[in-house]
Amino acid sequence: MKNRLRRVGLLSALALVAAAPATVPAVAVAKPTITMSGSTTVAPLAALLARKYLKVCDHCVNFKLLQGGSDIGVADVAAGRVTIGNSSRDPKPSDPGGLVFNKIAHDALCLVSNKANPIAGLDQAGVQAIFGGSVRSWSGVPGAAQTGTIDVFSRTPASGTQDAFQKIFMGSSKMFSGASQKGSNGLVEQSVASDPGGIGYVSLAFTKNVHTIPYKGVDCTLRNAKSGQYGGVRNLYMVTRGAPTGATAKWINWITHSKAASKVIATQWVPLN
Amino acid sequence: MSTSGSPSAAQPRNRTDQRAEVLLGALACAVLVLIAFMIVFVFVKAWPSFADNGLAWFGAGGNVDEQMQNIFNSPADPSDYVYTMHAWPLLYATALITGISVLLATAISLLSAIFIVEFAPVFMQRLLRPVIRLLAAVPSVVYGLIGILVLVPFFGNHVISDGEKESVRYVIQLDGTSVLVGVLVLTVMITPIMVAITTDALRSVPRTWTEGAAALGVNRFRALRTVGIRAARPAIVAAGVLATARALGEAIMLSMVSGSVGFAPNPLDGVTFLFEPARTLAATVVDNSEGLSVKPFGQTIYAFAAILLISSAFLSFAGWVARSSMRKYTLQAR
Repeated sequence: MKNRLRRVGLLSALALVAAAPATVPAVAVAKPTITMSGSTTVAPLAALLARKYLKVCDHCVNFKLLQGGSDIGVADVAAGRVTIGNSSRDPKPSDPGGLVFNKIAHDALCLVSNKANPIAGLDQAGVQAIFGGSVRSWSGVPGAAQTGTIDVFSRTPASGTQDAFQKIFMGSSKMFSGASQKGSNGLVEQSVASDPGGIGYVSLAFTKNVHTIPYKGVDCTLRNAKSGQYGGVRNLYMVTRGAPTGATAKWINWITHSKAASKVIATQWVPLN
Repeated sequence: MSTSGSPSAAQPRNRTDQRAEVLLGALACAVLVLIAFMIVFVFVKAWPSFADNGLAWFGAGGNVDEQMQNIFNSPADPSDYVYTMHAWPLLYATALITGISVLLATAISLLSAIFIVEFAPVFMQRLLRPVIRLLAAVPSVVYGLIGILVLVPFFGNHVISDGEKESVRYVIQLDGTSVLVGVLVLTVMITPIMVAITTDALRSVPRTWTEGAAALGVNRFRALRTVGIRAARPAIVAAGVLATARALGEAIMLSMVSGSVGFAPNPLDGVTFLFEPARTLAATVVDNSEGLSVKPFGQTIYAFAAILLISSAFLSFAGWVARSSMRKYTLQAR
């Protein structure tokens, strides 16, 4: 008898554990929940926007924000695991069908070198020579304070930043095969900051400890990116399965059209209009 | 239900015991099912990559990173998927870094275990044991952070000379992330667990055996070498297997410090060889897990995982064979 009681207790405990994940959405039914995952570049922007949106609409929705990289976001939204997949790369032909890439902002991609080696500027041919591996010594780069070998830091193939860099700066030329591939913006910044002979590229938000190199004579700053003078600008997206509906449509519409959202975006990114 | 396996077969068995036996048996079977399921899952996922390349998958040829880039940018049509992959540089890097670290760690751990068991004063033994356990439990990211913030810049800026950088600069860049730093940090990571296991094994060798040797007139070190270590050999092999498994599976730390290029370091480059970067299989999986959503790319990543799975299975098997062939010289207890 006692044993049976114990077993019932155990079973009900198990049932509780099993039911726990199921009860979370049930509680949230009162308010619609918008879940987002994906790009590490978009995540800080999405967090700031969500905080503002909650204030503006008086907590009309619940937000859940995860990270993982552009491709994770695209895969998650395609599989229906999240309502919005954040992406810092353009749509690709191999992406699953039925996805809508909603453009929410622009982001500047900066070329960076070590602070001890403040390069005065590079044009597209210069970038292609350095990142393509045909110039391997700083003495071959005009205006370099450093001598010796160039250490090139790039990103892994799955990164949205890598995709944007290849398209905007490299065009059809290939990356240097000996370049060190890093997993995130932060790792590239850290590597360039600790290596006097290093060069790399990061999102504008990751340029505090490194020197930003002007591209085609234009500084990589927020102002130049907004005015459209700076060439290295890419798009940030919120990806949905089919056109957004309901609370999601309201939220994306608020980001793209309201003044308040533009103001939030303009702190470190470039608003659409 | 048969009761022949139980030691108390003569008495009627306790029902609680019976139930516990069934429950534990079910759990053990569940683990087996889980492993089988995992192996099948990984291999089914990985199969297209192996099938498309055949044995060339394991060979050298071309640039691994370029091949991965091409796989990643495959067209949407499944019949046009790109699978070409020659993974030799990754396999070689894995074997190289794991091999050197385990060899170093075995030598260091054996010597320090001998010191702790036989020569260290009691207060030092009391101090060393918890410290070694603590070291064994430090998460690998912590080692990775120390590596990338301290060791990599130090090697890149002070140890590797400009001449060495220039000698290979059109092939590969030497920025400090290297085989050497990877091996150093990995050795530090796996040594403590080997020391802990070896120490316990040496301690459990019966005192009378070494005393017998001492009575024949040999010194302490010789007695330990010829009797103690020989008796503890199965445990030393077990420690080696455990350490190798940890080294094989180490991903985060190596992805941070051993370089993120699919490059096969060339031993013909002399000392520079140690400064060249290399990326192991596990580090490749971690670095590229962002791209799992691209189907052929994901399948290639699963192929790397399958190789790791096979190597660790093979490792356990080899360890078991080695231990059972040594067992005749030693205690039967373990």
